[in-house]
Amino acid sequence: MSSDTNLVSKVLILDNAVEHFDKIKQFCDENGLIGLRIHSNNVLRTLNSYVDLGGIFIAEDYAGTLEKTIELASSIRASRPELPIILRRNVASNAEPLPEKSARCFVSSYTIDDLSPLHQFIENYIFSVVYPNALIRGITEISVQSLQSQFKAQVVTANAPYIVRDRIIFGEVFSLIPLESNWCRGYMMLQTEESILDSLVVSDVGIQYSQTPFRELNNLLGEVTNLIWGAFKNRFINEDIDRANRSVTQVPLVVNHQNKYISFGSENPQLCFKYTLLDEATGLFCSIYQWFIFNLDFTPELFEEIQTTVDDLIDSGELELF
Amino acid sequence: MAKILIVDDSSTVRDQVGEFLTENGLDFITAVDGKDGLVKLQGEPDIKLVLCDVNMPNMDGLTMVEKVRSDLGNTSVSIIMLTTESNPSMKERGKAAGVKGWIVKPFRGESVLSAIKKLIE
Repeated sequence: MSSDTNLVSKVLILDNAVEHFDKIKQFCDENGLIGLRIHSNNVLRTLNSYVDLGGIFIAEDYAGTLEKTIELASSIRASRPELPIILRRNVASNAEPLPEKSARCFVSSYTIDDLSPLHQFIENYIFSVVYPNALIRGITEISVQSLQSQFKAQVVTANAPYIVRDRIIFGEVFSLIPLESNWCRGYMMLQTEESILDSLVVSDVGIQYSQTPFRELNNLLGEVTNLIWGAFKNRFINEDIDRANRSVTQVPLVVNHQNKYISFGSENPQLCFKYTLLDEATGLFCSIYQWFIFNLDFTPELFEEIQTTVDDLIDSGELELF
Repeated sequence: MAKILIVDDSSTVRDQVGEFLTENGLDFITAVDGKDGLVKLQGEPDIKLVLCDVNMPNMDGLTMVEKVRSDLGNTSVSIIMLTTESNPSMKERGKAAGVKGWIVKPFRGESVLSAIKKLIE
């Protein structure tokens, strides 16, 4: 886990060895991992219900035999190639080399007696990027404020931020806005489910549609994106630094609607926040996922929270007359 | 009656601010970007106050303000920026162009009413 922040990541644990549960759970607890165990005859179908994972732990006898487990891992890789998989080998069989085809499935292996490869796995593939504490804290604050300003009838709460390697889009509607500075270049993305968002907005007394509903929802998400982006810039991006020397590199983004997949052209893990909008009167709630994808540049050593003097401090929403 | 021009590419903001103005018995029209804002100002002599976003496609808000003063020769209409931006150098550019005030979003109704009271009533 990044030593700078309290980030977590969700990992799928495909392991039936009851005798090892405690040790694996302890490892997860000590290293900022949320272990999700699947008990299912259809792992792939169950896997589809998780869209924000950091990696997969799989035991060599999970599917019965090593060969069957390799087959299952191959299917998982074909479906979710962004998710790194680490194999737990039984101590007795650890000396036997793995079949060559398994090299394509697993990034490494470990035994329950030696978890050091697991530490390497999470450092290399999950917590490979260090995010400053001030950045994490600030993103949560400004996003909750921005959401609350637009969803006055709902209570907005933020979950603990986490690291994601998945490239699956949640819901049907998302917004995307570039982030450019001397210390980061990439995108912020907000994702949500249209029907759920619609039910919250409709239930909010006094909302008048001036356009057809889905465009209204689009615009609402767009405005939230704009508010968060603006606050992010005000707090973390000094526009005057090094503008002339900033990189202009761009890479294509690819969206596949059929498969609800988006690629930013980078293998880097993504920083994810989840917000819940709860209508206490009706019990309806909506999840909004926020991704930060610093695919073009991330140099945390240059990160600096902009210090505002007391004289400069005007609360948002207040009129500053010149 | 004095009119207020709301210039913002976000229909959510135009609706929210417009609804607030209506509730307070104020008349308004809207524009979707800086270019549209210039057209609306030219066509509506009753506009006394402009609430204008900064980041808009086609023409940003500060460029629009500069053109209102230079190209339209309109130095009497009061302009308040309603924006997510709080960058000091942007505010300086706004001041130099004759912007009368700045509100960082999300807007508060009382701030808009305060602007109206101070600038056009």
